This record gives sequence, C-alpha cells and structure tokens, in this order.
Amino acid sequence: MRAAVGLMLSHGAGGMEPALSRPDYEQSALHHSCLLVLLRGVGPSRARVLQRAFEKVRRVNHIRVNDSSGHPRSIWIRFVHDHPVEHNDWGDFQTHRRLLGLVTIGKFDSQIELNELCRQHESLKVRYGSTLYESRAIFFGPDEQPLETIGEVLGPPAAGGRRLQDEFTTPSNFKAQAFFYREQDSCADLESRIGDFASALFWVLESRRLERSREKADKVSLLLAPFEKRDFVGLDMESRNNRKRCVGRVMKNLADLSLQAGLVDDALSLYHNANETLRSVGDSLWVGATEEGLCAASAMLLYPQMRETETLHRNSSLQEAGTSPLKNTPEKWRASDATKKISASDATANNVDSNQPQQRVTSNSSSCSSVSSLVTTATNSSASDTPTTSSSSTSTISAAPIPGHQRNGDLPGNILKAEEISNYYRKAIINYSKYRHAATIETEAALKASRICIEQNRPLDVAMFLQNILYINLSMSEAERVKRFEVITDLYQQIGYQRKAAFFQRLAALKHVQQGSQAPDWNQSYRLMLGSFTGYRLCLDPLEVIENAAGWPALQIDLVQTLITAARRLGHSALATRHMTFLLQTQWDNMSPTEQSEMAVQLQNLSAQCEGSPVPLVLENGTVIPPANLTDLPYCIDLQVKDLPAHLRPQRIKVAKADSGPFLFTPIHFNSVDRRDKKKDKNKIAFQWVQNDLSEVTVRLRNPLPFELPVTDMRLLTNGVVFESLPQTLVLQPHVPTYVALHGTPIETGQLDLQGYSTHTLGVKSNCRLKHMRGRSFPPNYVVDVIPALPRISVKTSLPQTATFSNMNSADIVVTSASLTLYNGESSSCTITITNESATLPLEHLEFSINSNVEQELQQKIFRIDEEAIKAHLPVPPQGTIEIIVDVFAEADFVCPQPPASLHSAAAPGDYGASSLTHYSSVSTSGHASLPSRVGSPHHRRNEPQNSSFRSTISGGPPSLAALTLHPGGGGGVGPSSLGSQYNQHIEAQVRFKYSGGDALTAGYCRQCAVSFNLELLPSVQITSWDVLPAEVASQFYLVLDISNLTAQEMSLNYTDTKNILIEAKESCRVPIPVDRCSLEKVVAARAAEVAENLERELCFRTQLLSFNDALSKLCSIHIAERVKIKWLLTGTDIQGIASLRGIVLSQSMVDLTAVSPLEWAISFQDTLVQPHNEIVCTVGQRSLLSIQLANQSLQPLRNLVLSIKFYQDYLNGMENYNLETRVAISGPNRIAIPLLEKQEQKEHTCSVIFFTPGRFKASIECTSNPQKQSEQPSSLLTRSCPAEAESVGQSVMFSSSYDEQQAHVWKFIPPIEVTVVEQ
Amino acid sequence: MAFCIAVIGKDNAPLYLTTSDMEQELELQYHVNAALDVVEEKCLIGKGAPESKELYLGLLYSTENHKIYGFVTNTRVKFIVVIDSSNVALRENEVRAIFRNLHLLYTDAICNPFYIPGESLTSKKFDRAVQKLMSGTA
Repeated sequence: MRAAVGLMLSHGAGGMEPALSRPDYEQSALHHSCLLVLLRGVGPSRARVLQRAFEKVRRVNHIRVNDSSGHPRSIWIRFVHDHPVEHNDWGDFQTHRRLLGLVTIGKFDSQIELNELCRQHESLKVRYGSTLYESRAIFFGPDEQPLETIGEVLGPPAAGGRRLQDEFTTPSNFKAQAFFYREQDSCADLESRIGDFASALFWVLESRRLERSREKADKVSLLLAPFEKRDFVGLDMESRNNRKRCVGRVMKNLADLSLQAGLVDDALSLYHNANETLRSVGDSLWVGATEEGLCAASAMLLYPQMRETETLHRNSSLQEAGTSPLKNTPEKWRASDATKKISASDATANNVDSNQPQQRVTSNSSSCSSVSSLVTTATNSSASDTPTTSSSSTSTISAAPIPGHQRNGDLPGNILKAEEISNYYRKAIINYSKYRHAATIETEAALKASRICIEQNRPLDVAMFLQNILYINLSMSEAERVKRFEVITDLYQQIGYQRKAAFFQRLAALKHVQQGSQAPDWNQSYRLMLGSFTGYRLCLDPLEVIENAAGWPALQIDLVQTLITAARRLGHSALATRHMTFLLQTQWDNMSPTEQSEMAVQLQNLSAQCEGSPVPLVLENGTVIPPANLTDLPYCIDLQVKDLPAHLRPQRIKVAKADSGPFLFTPIHFNSVDRRDKKKDKNKIAFQWVQNDLSEVTVRLRNPLPFELPVTDMRLLTNGVVFESLPQTLVLQPHVPTYVALHGTPIETGQLDLQGYSTHTLGVKSNCRLKHMRGRSFPPNYVVDVIPALPRISVKTSLPQTATFSNMNSADIVVTSASLTLYNGESSSCTITITNESATLPLEHLEFSINSNVEQELQQKIFRIDEEAIKAHLPVPPQGTIEIIVDVFAEADFVCPQPPASLHSAAAPGDYGASSLTHYSSVSTSGHASLPSRVGSPHHRRNEPQNSSFRSTISGGPPSLAALTLHPGGGGGVGPSSLGSQYNQHIEAQVRFKYSGGDALTAGYCRQCAVSFNLELLPSVQITSWDVLPAEVASQFYLVLDISNLTAQEMSLNYTDTKNILIEAKESCRVPIPVDRCSLEKVVAARAAEVAENLERELCFRTQLLSFNDALSKLCSIHIAERVKIKWLLTGTDIQGIASLRGIVLSQSMVDLTAVSPLEWAISFQDTLVQPHNEIVCTVGQRSLLSIQLANQSLQPLRNLVLSIKFYQDYLNGMENYNLETRVAISGPNRIAIPLLEKQEQKEHTCSVIFFTPGRFKASIECTSNPQKQSEQPSSLLTRSCPAEAESVGQSVMFSSSYDEQQAHVWKFIPPIEVTVVEQ
Repeated sequence: MAFCIAVIGKDNAPLYLTTSDMEQELELQYHVNAALDVVEEKCLIGKGAPESKELYLGLLYSTENHKIYGFVTNTRVKFIVVIDSSNVALRENEVRAIFRNLHLLYTDAICNPFYIPGESLTSKKFDRAVQKLMSGTA
C-alpha cells in the first residue's frame, strides 16, 4: 500500500496533466455554497437595454425554496462573466467549481440576427455541456408598429410576448427556453423568470445529492482530480485502503453538494467524517479539500455579512466611485461589527440567551418578509415540479424562524471557532502545497483565507497568507502574475498596509513593462505606479508632499522617475513634464547638485515636446493631476514691494494739513505704534499705488544650477483688483544673486494682493507663491492699496538746468531744476510750464509752496508767485499746459553792520581838512561828547584862537555847495581805510507743486513734485557808513551815505530823482541825500503803540525805556527806507536794480535829527525875524535885542528844559572858539531853566548882545532836556500802581513817566545864526 | 552576514540605512519600507500588555531571497535587519544578538550631546561599527 501511494506521488511529480490555467481571484469562502451560473452577452450590440437586463438578472442571487419534505432552503447563485473550461474538470474535486447554469442576453433586429444569437447560445451549451444543468436565453427584439404598440398596452403582456415570438422563430436545433422582450419593454417579469431558472437548477442539484446519498458504500466509484487519473491505473480498487478512499471522497463530494443545497449542518458533519476517513489513508489533497470545506461552511454561519460586502463591492466597481478613504470607513465599521458578532457568537455558544434568539428571529423574519413575494411566485411557478403545497404552508414559511439547527438560536457544535478557521486554512494550504498541480487551488485557498482574516480583523494573518502566495510555484503568464499582484495589493489595502500594497503595486507595474515583454502595457504600468503613491507618502499635490515630508526620499525619487518613464512611453508629453516638475518641486532638497542638474536638463528636454503650465491636468480616466510649480527654480532670496517714485507718490491732502499742526502729543505716538504693529500683522504695505500707474516689485533671485538659467515671461501674481503684469525676461548666471524688477499696472482701485510671481523656465510655467517658499520668512502675501488714478504732469522751466544736487530735504521729489545768477537788488522772472500728461484726467487741483534754506520772510521777498492767475487757469485739460511765472528779486542787506559812532570817533581826530558836512558831523558828535571833556580838558582852552580863525575862513559862499564840490576829490581819503568785502550768497529753493484730479481728488489724494531753484546772489552795492546831518531847512535833513561798488564793472547810481553819480569798480563815494523829516503824527502813533505795549508788558514786569527807543528808532529807519531808493545800473549792460536801506541803524542823536523837533523856534534879532541864511549885520558897541520864543508842539509836556545861548567863532578848519568873553557880552541870562513846558505852551526869553570887536560870529541856540530828577521815577511807579487812579490820569502819568525815562535830548535851532559885526 | 541594517525613527522616517551591496540598495529600501507595516502592527498588538512586550519582533516577512527581522526600542525607534534567505545556518539567537549589539551602538550614538533626536545618524564611529556588525565580525 505504501508503494502504491509513493507511485501515485511520483506520477504526480511528473507533471503530465495540465493544471488550472489561472486562479479565480475573485473567489471567496462563501462561494462554496453558490450555484455557478455563466452570464454572457451575445451578439454585436452593447446597448443600454442589455446592461439593464444584466443588472436585473444579477440581482437574483438568492432564492428560498421548499424542498420535497417541506423544509425551506436558502439557495445562493453566483454569476460570472467568464469561466475557463478547465475549471469544470475540477468539479468533482470541489463541486462549486462546476458550471451549472447558462444565461445569455442578446439583441436582434432581424431573423438572421436571431439565428446568430441562438447559434452562439448553443455553442456555449456545447462547451460546458458536461456539467450544465439548465440554460436560458433572453432576446430583445425590435419594437412593434406604433398602432400595434398602443393596442398592445391595452392587452395583457403575455399576449405581447407571444406576438413577438410569432413574428420570429428560433432554429430547429435551439432547444433552450427563450424569453422575448421588446427593446423598450420594462422586463417586469424577468426577475421572476430567473428565479424559476434558479429553482430549476436547485432541483437538479437536489436530485444529484439524493442520488449520491443513496449510493451503497460498496458500489461507489472513485472520484478523481484531473491530474490523478493516471495515478490509479492498474491499482486494486477493491483493497481496504482504496475502498476507504472511495468512501471518503464520495462523502466529501456529498458534503459539497449539501453545502450548495443549503444544508450547512449536514455539510459540516460530512466534512468532519470525510476528513477523518481521508486522513486515515493519507489522501492529503482531499484532506485539504475537506478542511477548506469546513472553513467555508463555518464562514457561512459566522460571517453571512460577507455576501453584502460582495454586493457592495460589485456596486462600487460598477459605479467606479470607490476611493481609498471611502473604502476605509466601511471597512472599520464592518470589522467592528464582525468582532461584535464573533463575541456574540461565542457568548451564544457558551450560554443560551433567551433575548438573542428573539433578535435573530426578528432579523430573519424581516429577511423572510422581503423575499416572501419572490418565494410565493416561485412556488406558484414551480407547482408542476414540486408536491402541492397549501396556502397555510405559505403563511407558515413567512412566520417560520431560521430553519434547521438555528431554530434554537444556537450554532452547531461541530462548527469551527473563529481562530480555528485560519488554522484549518493553513493546514489545507500545506496539504495543497504537496501537489504541484494544485498550485492554483492553493493560491485560491490563500486568498480565501486572507479574506476571512480581513473579516476577523487579523491583519498579521492576512499578511502571512498573502506573503505565502508568492512562494507558490505557478507556471503563470505575465498577465496572470500581474493580476496576482493587483489582488494582493487590494487585500493589503483593505487591512491598512499601505506600504505593502504600494510595494506590490510597484511590482505589478514593473511586470507590465518588463524587459522582453511582447506588448508592454505602459498604461497599466502608469496606473499602478500612480496608485502606489500613498504607500510611499506621496500624493499628486506637491504641496501636501512637501508639508508631510516623512523620509524615504530615495524611494520617492525612484518612484516618480519610473512614473515619468511610463508617461513618456505613453506618449503623454504633458504628463511627463508635469511629473518631472513635480519631482523637482518636491525632492529638490533631497537630491545632490549633480542630480539636480541632470533632472533640470531632463525637464528641459521633456518640456521641449510639451510645455508645462500651472493648470490641473485631467486624464482620460478622470484623474486630475494638480499643477506643479518650480517654486525654488530660480531661488528667491528677497522680495520687496517698491513705492512709486517720490514725485509720483500719492499723498493725502487732508492728512498733510493735519500733520502741519504745531502740537504732537504722546498718545498719538502710542496709537501710531499700535497701528504700525497691526499693519505688520496684516502684511499691509504702508504706501499706496495709483491706478493706471506703473508699479514695481524688486525680487532677488539666485540660480542654483551650474549653468545659465533663462527665465522668460516673469510676471507678478496678484489677486484682488485687476492687475496687468508686464513680462520680464532675464538670464541668471550660476550661483550669483540677481536683482530683477517686475513691473505692472493696477487697472482697478481697491486692495491688491501680491502673492508672488510666475516664471517660465526650463520650459515650465510656474506660479511661485510666497506662502509656498520654504526656508524664508516671507509673509503669505503683500496687500497694497490702490487709489484712484491721479493725473501726471511734466514740468519745464525757462531757465537752464543745473547739474548740482540739492542739499535740501525731500530732494527726491525734484523733477527739474533751474539756475539763476542775480546781483543784489536785481529782478528777474522764471516761467514754469506744466503739461498735463494724462490722457483722460484733467488737472483740477494745483497748489504750490516754496521751501528754501533762508528765512520765511526773506524767502517771500525773493520769490513771488501769482496764485490767482494760476487758479484762473484750472482745470487743465488732458494734454493741456499751464504757465506759472515766478518773480525772483535778489533781496539782500545793503547796509554794512558797522556802528557809525565808532567810525566817526576814529575818523574825526585826525581829519582837519574835511568838508563842512563832515565837520558838522564831528561837531554834533564832539559837541555832545565833549561837554564833560571841556570842563576837564585844558587842551580846548588853549585852542580858542584857532576856532576863531576857522569860523572866519568859511564866512563867504554856500557851505553845502562847496562841500559837495570838494567831496569827489577827497572821496578816496575820507572813506574807511578798509572795506569788508561781501561774499557771494547761494540760495537753494524748491517750488513744490501738489496736484490732483479726477476720482483721486474726491478721495483726498494728490501728488507732489518740485522744481529745484539754485539762486546765486552777487554783491552789487554796499553802504559802508551813514550819518544824519541837519539840512538848510528845518523840515529836512541830510542822509550821508558811503556807497561802495562791489561789482567788477562801472556803476551808475541814481540817488535822487535828479542827481546821478558814477562809481568805478571796487570804488566807493560819499553821497548826501536830502530826506524829509519824520512827521509828528508818526511819532505820536509810535508813542501810542508804545503805550499799548506798555500796558501789556506790565504783566511781564519789563522796563519800557528801551522799547520806546527801539520803536522810535525803527520808525525812523522805516521812514528813511521808504523815502530813499538808490537805483543802480551797470554801465554798458542791462543789469540794474534797487538798493534798499532796510536795516539801517540810527543812534539817538540821529533819531533827534530825523524826527521833527517838538519845539518850534521863533527868533528875532534887532526886532527882525531871523530867516535861514539871512545876513544879520550889527555895529560894534551897539546893543542888539535877541528875542527867543519856544512853543511845545508835541502831545506831551516837556520837563526840565534848559535853554542856552552861546556865541562862538568858526574858523572853518575844524576849530571852533567858544571863549569869547573879551568880544561878546550878553546882558541877561544866557542859560534859562524851564521846569515845565505844557502842551502848546509858549515861552519867551529876551536878552541884549553887545559886540566889542568886528568880525564874524555865530550863535548856537539849543534847548536841552535832562533826566536829572530821577527821584521822581519811583513815585511815578507808585502812582501807576495805585488802583484808584482813573484811566485818563493814568495815561497822563504814563506819558510823564515815559518822558522821564527817556534819554537826554538836544534840540537846536538850525542853521546857526550868523552875525557879521562891522565897524561904524 | 546581513544585507541591510536600517534605523527608523518614531515617525517612520529613516535615520540610518546601510547595505552591503550598493546595487541592491534601492530594492532593499523598498523591502524595509514595506516591512514597516508589519512592525507597526506588531507594536500595536503589544499595547494592551506593556509588561509582557518584547523588543524583538521576530521575522517580519520573508521573500525568496531575503528574511527581514525587526526590533523596536522603548522610544519607538525601529531596527530592521535584512538577512539572506539562503543562510539557513543563521539561527534566531544570532539575529537577537545582532539586534542587541545594534541597540548598544545606537544608544552610544545618541548619547552625543550634539545629536538632535529625529535627525539622521551621521556618526562615523556608528557607521564603522554597523559595517562590522553587518559583515559578522562584531
């Protein structure tokens, strides 16, 4: 017996019998209990009506039938589309592999087509005839005529069917039952007919089962697997072991039939018995089959929900809507439910629970209700085949609980436990592995075991079974090998082993395109490779890959490269370019520089066929490939949003006014700081851009590749308002940072969102967004406000431009410059032409201001613009122009700031040959100053004779005329020894324009630009010294000026309306100018102003003495400046100007001469009124009366006046002799004190004069006010402080106090009286 | 003795991977990557009983040419060793010894105060020691 077994195995190893051609990968454990039916479409047509029929047929996968003894059976049907004939040969080994039924569906339009459909049906019957029980044909014919169709609707459907059958006839050799339907028929009865068909199959199966069960043990024949036939040739079949083998195999076959017939309990018992019998004789192959059968039967009872999985899977595959995330959720739910059921089953097995059976009964009752109608119909239809059943039997079926062993709610005792199933499968697989011909059976068993373990939520066992599949030695074709990998992939994905699934997906993909393959399927390879992305932490969105980078870069790079190869072989250039871009974007940091260069070159070559673009790529199967961008090619180091040029920068009109306020408080700064922080958080740009104006963003780029990188069509990426980007083309050198300016124009107003830039490099267009740039601290975007369009202007001037740059602030808004050279006092003008360059916007608002490096007041004198003339020209239409005239006057100080008193003090002592005017000045100064010195100086007493001789020298001729004649000749010697040379003065100024128009003006925006002015002031005329001398009449005085010509040319000087003088270059001359004296009204007004000022200053406790003098001095200065205008002209040129005397400083003595004297003189000599320049003659020894009348013309009383009369002789050589005691005698007092001279009061004094010697004498009559009584000042202050004083009294007191506080004043009778004494 | 030795971080990113045959490095990386599924599953099983958890995970899976063993530390760092299938003389005790030595080398390497956990192991000393361990002379 052992030798026989060895011989059998030896024959098996020979491999003479063909094995199953390929495994049935879709098979599951529960398919052991199904009746196998081939569902095939025949004919050329694949209309939608056939698809609907297919679905209706497939829906009938479960029926309930009553057997001959009245017990209900649960029958399942499995529909397949393809079934190799070789699988039928294994029907004895496992009966579920036997094809039992055949259903064909076809469509015909004519009799010939119908005959062809019948022929195809018959050929299929012949092919599977050895195992086929029953077959059906479903034919769809053409529709009836419209009239007949209407008639048919009224009639019964059966009649309609018959009519179609009457029209067409099947061939004579066609013996199957055919169902005819119209093309538009709803096929309402198709499902019931298929149910009848299934029932027919069941009854045939049942008869086979009963026949098998009735066989006697001693008469059974040996059942064989296809490859076992040769092994048993010549053996003694009657031996004990062979007899047991025959009985065991028959028992196993009967168990298979019982399982298919719905008798699970019987099947379990039979499997166990067969297992024991076959194991005793060492029949390993059939022992494995019994073990597999046990697992299948147990799975039927434990996991009936796996059938639902099958249904769900089919629907999912049909709809092609299944996705990995969606599949995972039901998976978890199903696993959880399975675990719960396993626990419940265990609990039920251990204890009988009364509640559990009720729940089961309820569930099964609902299931019975759902199929009750079908069962009823089936029963009615098959009445001829089964014993008669009554209606009460039908109602019993509806209410009956689970049949058989489950009536008590308990599982059979011999069922396998959940953990035992995997063990039994493992043992079965081990038994199968002993036979090479059973490799397909082994593979299918492993797959079934995997599916069971998936249901049991035991992934490690699944992994073990799947891994063992690879060890099975199968002579498979490449297509079958790929199919195996795909099935393994799917199962791995179900247990969540993404990496394993990806591994096998990659293997399947590589198998498709293996070397030596006759027809490489790159499409499948690509699809599988794409499906394996999840396992390697890849997805099609490059941004997700970058964010979730989790290592394994080498694998990712290799996978993407393989994908690129597949895409290229497919001929899909766009796809290859897209994936290569994806590779560079996601794996740039993980590649070496050499690899980076190689990939870049490859990308360049790929994109030469089809360019890459940043739009999603939709494949034919509906897959969407997201866009990939070369964000880091080139590498962006920095990106800065640039403000507009200064002269085009928008500013707020109102804000500017607010900013000009004089006070800035601290809280404003805090708010400003907070606002700044807030802006920083929002990535808000502080400045604004202007609609329709060119804007700029500066980008610093670096080329990380070792070769030149051309970048074309580089633009800004924006969001928000419409933005028109200008393309930029550049070539980046390797590893060198390059600055690029990207320009664009915002078309709308609002907020512009700058997100990055777009590039076109290496043949790929990329959107490089800031938020996707890693390793840099870029904000996600920049937000810029775009304000409405502002007009644009161009500015030109009539003066030449200058190349020098301005040192003033805000120099960046200067758009043009003008340079001008003027002599001090010269006038000129500049015409500024403003053109509105805007095409559509008028210039509606234009204001200007002038800034310079000199003081505001001086600036206003130098530059003048007529504002009204400008406003009259507004608005300026587009392309229009406006002219602005700026008048420029070279304002300067012509008066030398040297003190005149010191000048005269220095000049007077050594100058005895001066003119009479100079002499008068010396007399005035020395007369006042020499009063104290005369008393203490014996020098003057010794010089008395000289004065007398001097006075007699000038006794004849007009003194002023002589002086004027002498002056030009001695001008050079009279002036100061050295003149301070005046330097050139340089003035920088900016004429700033703020302009606006259109909507921007409404919004409160404007622009600002400036014209830079360079004004050079050359020195022209300078007054080095000045003095005030009394004139011939009392209403005038002489202003004596020393004028220097500081230019290099001859100057003609008009110092009065009628007088002219020429001054050579760098020369100076002395000029006397008669000027009217300042009127008393002005003096009164000045004093009134002084009083008002004093009232204010009382609160500040300031002294008023100096302020009054200052006021009066200013008054006289203004008086002189207003009346004296010195016009100068450079001889031979057109250059001319006016020299102003503004700023001239007058001393107190000068002020007394300038202002009109408050005293009015009336002097008579010998009863004759003395007139100016009258000849007065008297005789020696004769008494002459001298009468003097004083009148106070001022508004205030004069106090402490001293009237003095002195006679002296003037030698006209600078000497005056006052010691005339021996020549003149005065009877009566020559010094009279007047304590008080009220307003408009007159005083008269008369005395007699006797001359002892003949000669020429002069009389000096003067009135002096002395502030010697200063003790009254405190009382005056006290009086002023008294609150009880009335206003008028207070005013009067203040007048007095102010007068007392004044300095000493000397008023003289001008000119001095000249008396000629003659002999009788 | 070993084809490949890999150190995988807690986030399943490779910290160190070395092979004896450079031409097969990519293929071995694929195998190591696929083995992580089984490693994760075995780590998950031991969650319920931490006191009975063993660091050595045993044979993860085998192919025609390779056997892949796993080891996991208390800090969830995984060690993967790929051994030739034809080396039938290699016993399980020897594989355990390899992992024990590898664990010692790894702890020495991460004692470097300048090593940042989670980054690649670039220690030359560690690399040399692993090479010796791989060639069987350790």
